[in-house]
Amino acid sequence: MSTNQPAPPIDEVGALLGRMRSAASPVRDVLRELHERLSKDDSGEVATYIPELAKANPGWFGLSICTVDGNTIEFGDVSQPFTIQSISKAFVYGMALEDRGLENVLAKVGVEPTGDAFNSIVLDEISNRPFNPMVNAGAIATCDLINGADHPERVARMLNMIRTYCGREIHIDHSVFLSERMTGHRNRAMAHLMRNFGMMGEKFEESLELYFQQCSILVTASDLAVMGATLANAGVNPKTGERAISADNVKYVLSLMLTCGMYDYAGEWAFRVGLPAKSGVAGGIVAVIPGVGGIGVFSPPLDAKGNSVRGVRACTELSQRFGLHCLATGSGGNALLEALTARRR
Amino acid sequence: MPKIISTHSFRGGTGKSNTTANLAVLTAKRGLRVGVIDTDIQSPGIHVIFGFDPKSAKSSLNDYLWGRCRIEEAAYDMTEGCIGQVHTGDERPRLFLIPSSLRTGEIARVLREGYDVAKLNDGIHELVEGLNLDVLFIDTHPGVNEETLLSIAISDALVLTLRPDQQDFQGTAVTVELARRLEVPRMFVVVNKVPEGIDQDLLREQVEAAYQCQVAALLPLSNEMVKLGSGGLFANRYPDHPLSVSLKRLSDELMTS
Repeated sequence: MSTNQPAPPIDEVGALLGRMRSAASPVRDVLRELHERLSKDDSGEVATYIPELAKANPGWFGLSICTVDGNTIEFGDVSQPFTIQSISKAFVYGMALEDRGLENVLAKVGVEPTGDAFNSIVLDEISNRPFNPMVNAGAIATCDLINGADHPERVARMLNMIRTYCGREIHIDHSVFLSERMTGHRNRAMAHLMRNFGMMGEKFEESLELYFQQCSILVTASDLAVMGATLANAGVNPKTGERAISADNVKYVLSLMLTCGMYDYAGEWAFRVGLPAKSGVAGGIVAVIPGVGGIGVFSPPLDAKGNSVRGVRACTELSQRFGLHCLATGSGGNALLEALTARRR
Repeated sequence: MPKIISTHSFRGGTGKSNTTANLAVLTAKRGLRVGVIDTDIQSPGIHVIFGFDPKSAKSSLNDYLWGRCRIEEAAYDMTEGCIGQVHTGDERPRLFLIPSSLRTGEIARVLREGYDVAKLNDGIHELVEGLNLDVLFIDTHPGVNEETLLSIAISDALVLTLRPDQQDFQGTAVTVELARRLEVPRMFVVVNKVPEGIDQDLLREQVEAAYQCQVAALLPLSNEMVKLGSGGLFANRYPDHPLSVSLKRLSDELMTS
């Protein structure tokens, strides 16, 4: 399974037949059963640190899988919009790599997992860098690396980047953005601290705004699956054929997702699920099956570590059932590919 | 292992619904549990042949698709009227019909809003499991649309009905190509309404050359069928008619292998 050769975009008849195959896929039964069973798990709490997130219906639950040949198999609330939150960090990091090149990015943000919580104010004592781009400090420093003549251009470029991954127009939820910005004292403090150490430039306040904006982008579980499939497909959106990131940079994004993507559950996630993934406090998780496809899950109740309860369970079960662990030698993703291409019987 | 069989025609008027209804009854009479689902939501009709009064339907396929009922609640046991008396305790033979709604509002809603074909797929499989069916026939809307393609994608066999008519010939080629691309395991081409005096061997040859697949049956144009006007089940009314015999043979072929 080489990730260097993206699948060619599909023709119209192919797309139609693909949709029919998806609708008829036995994997849909797996998602349906999983959805029904995990819906009964009402543990976890919806994030409440801003009122907009607290409004989420804890019953929302969407499961979507998109393959590198652009077929989507999904079940549940897959069209319910929610804010992308920390999931954006992985994609903005990829954009910083594209804009500045690996070494320049590494000079500002490390790639070392921390056992600390997402909002910890910890910098590397020797280099003053935030540990990695998946903790808030690292994500804010990463935002500072996004190119653009002025703030509006930087915002437009970032939105366009996410649009390319999703394959559709996307928008910022303004009230979430304003709330994040009004209440983001801790993030503001981190930005100032990093500015003090010279890890952020003169435009650090604008970069902080950009960070609040990136977290407030509205996506759906379907979108997350396509975004994951784009990374799985060497950076080319399988639905549109548009390139979102160079194949070279995909591996850096994915390795950070694997080691740091699930807050302070990242180690156990890599061990048990074995898929590069990123979660957000609104209840979204994107997981990538390299060379095979992307998984998008949305369910707002979070566990103590800030990951979607049903999302973690769904990814864990899918990984075990289809042998998706990316370090499982010899079988990675094959069972899912077979199930996806198999007819019902 | 339950079988799903879709019947399809590229154009209307090929006798697809009559063929499906009769095949379903002949198949059930082998001692099987058979379902017939009318996915022709835009222009439902197969219920007429079974003598089913749409007013007596509390729920239809439409209700399931809009989430108003479980699919089994839209299934009606037609065994007595179509096969005859069966002991209440006997599980086989049984014949179930899942009709589409004839209410104008329901049809308009489908045209306006469409529906999720994946949900139709879920329903079909819940139906096969819930009613413990041996065979499910799917009667589709003529032409190519999402529900016909879905039924092809999930079927073990596809029965393609056409008349000896140039428009049917050309159109059916489209369905054959799509069915091949959807990798339907078995395809049965049925040439229906074949008039007397036509060179059957030549017709068979032409069709087989055009689609690169065998013709499963050439069904004669029958005056009795025309006169029946969908007012009943032909194979029950005229069991010894050459048409019924051919249909019976087709049912045998569908069930073997």
